[in-house]
Amino acid sequence: MIPPPTSTTLITLCFGVLIFIFIMFLPALLELKKPKDAGPRMILNDVAVLQQLQIVQKIPIANMEEDLRFDQTVVKKIANVIAMLPNLET
Amino acid sequence: MITKLLEVFFLILTALMTTYLIRHFIFTLTVLKNAQKRKKAVTVENTTYQPTVSTLIPARNEEQVIGRILQRMTELTYPKDKMQIIVIDDASTDDTGKIVEEYAKNYSYIKVIHRTSKEWGKVKASALNAGLKYAKSEIVLCFDADYYSQADIIEKLVAEFVDPKVGAVQGRVTVLNEPQNIVTRLVALERVGGYRIDQQARDSLGLIPQLGGTAFAIRRKLLESLGGWDESILAEDTDLTFRVYLAGYKVRYVNDAECYEEAVENWRAYWKQRCRWAKGHMQCAFKHSLKVLKSNNLLLKKKIDGLLLLNVYFMPILIWISWIISVLLFFSKPPQWLNALLTTIPLSFYSFVGNFAPFFEVGMGAYLDGRTRACWLIPLLIFMFLYNIVICTKAFTDLLTSKIFGKHTITWDKTVHSGSGNSYIMK
Repeated sequence: MIPPPTSTTLITLCFGVLIFIFIMFLPALLELKKPKDAGPRMILNDVAVLQQLQIVQKIPIANMEEDLRFDQTVVKKIANVIAMLPNLET
Repeated sequence: MITKLLEVFFLILTALMTTYLIRHFIFTLTVLKNAQKRKKAVTVENTTYQPTVSTLIPARNEEQVIGRILQRMTELTYPKDKMQIIVIDDASTDDTGKIVEEYAKNYSYIKVIHRTSKEWGKVKASALNAGLKYAKSEIVLCFDADYYSQADIIEKLVAEFVDPKVGAVQGRVTVLNEPQNIVTRLVALERVGGYRIDQQARDSLGLIPQLGGTAFAIRRKLLESLGGWDESILAEDTDLTFRVYLAGYKVRYVNDAECYEEAVENWRAYWKQRCRWAKGHMQCAFKHSLKVLKSNNLLLKKKIDGLLLLNVYFMPILIWISWIISVLLFFSKPPQWLNALLTTIPLSFYSFVGNFAPFFEVGMGAYLDGRTRACWLIPLLIFMFLYNIVICTKAFTDLLTSKIFGKHTITWDKTVHSGSGNSYIMK
């Protein structure tokens, strides 16, 4: 038979559970506060291109759709120029 | 008598949870065992099989992201004379149509279909069926508008069709806007477990890899013979998976064929998306469970995996029912409470480490991806798991309501894409 719990046992148990929960979530809190994960995972061909170009940092691009909406002529000109360039990925 | 019944029901539920738990352990160990084996990579240089490919991109109000995927389509390494890209502008009220028209003008292989608000079928399957009418190629590929693929994804997907028994091929989905906030980071973790381990293991074990609704390819003739996508099912991808298998074909999963997606950015959007998935899966379970059992085209292991896959969205509901029963048993049989507690161990274990992709799967997937630091977030998945319990219960209640009262509650809550992922694309 298990003896009925005393108040000391109950307090220790509650305290233990709280500490367990704290320890369980501590790494997650640390990672959220100061993210060190390298995500998002880069898809393979982008990794290859980056290695070739030796680019390490992410470079945010301009919003493509904004350009398309507001200045179609510029987009057309750029598209014409790109069409003439050789495809570096092949 | 009631106590006896509860005990039996509780034991059945415990056995069911343990089955899922063992299944996921087998998946994880299989992938871990095969991790060292390197499959010969399909590259542009060594590809000999190059069928014609029609890519369907359904888009409704996707002005923030449609330009990104169309630009990517123009950068694909697959021969352009073998490509046809069909964008289905599904009665968009924003500038989606204009952007697509601009691309269609500049690239002859891009075609746009504009659907009016009268034609709009309110479900993705309807848009895909509209696009399928114009597809003339041997293989049909599907992408959502918020996706961004590898440049050589088509080569990698179509290579599997050399085997005539392969009916469809699924690629891997990776979250693009992962660093955005806690929701996107947790969704990314779920995806890691789901694709890197779950899908990979099912493929390796010859079970049932699932079509994910996007970044997948299917034989056009097979798709047409199946009658296209079922517009009455919210999870048209799961439905198609089982129809492919029941027709005697198989689905392959290619982990190297990767594609970015823009994950939902807040809990509300997560709720809508998962509720839709849950309802769709449950619809598929009702539709296909018996057919899977009776099928002559499926081996026993595929039947078991198929049934477990079809019914996975019922599990969160059964879990809270088990919790209630265990509490009732605990109080109704005080002298044997220790036994009851011992019985709950596997149940609690599943409950705490189990989600659709259990925590150990996620951890192993992140480890194999070389992202050990991401594992630090895994304990937070418990909140997603608890959230999923509520979501699945709501989905089930909605389905029941619509069945009993004939009330139509099956609506497609479309995920809104803000284009936040654009800033993470490497250029």
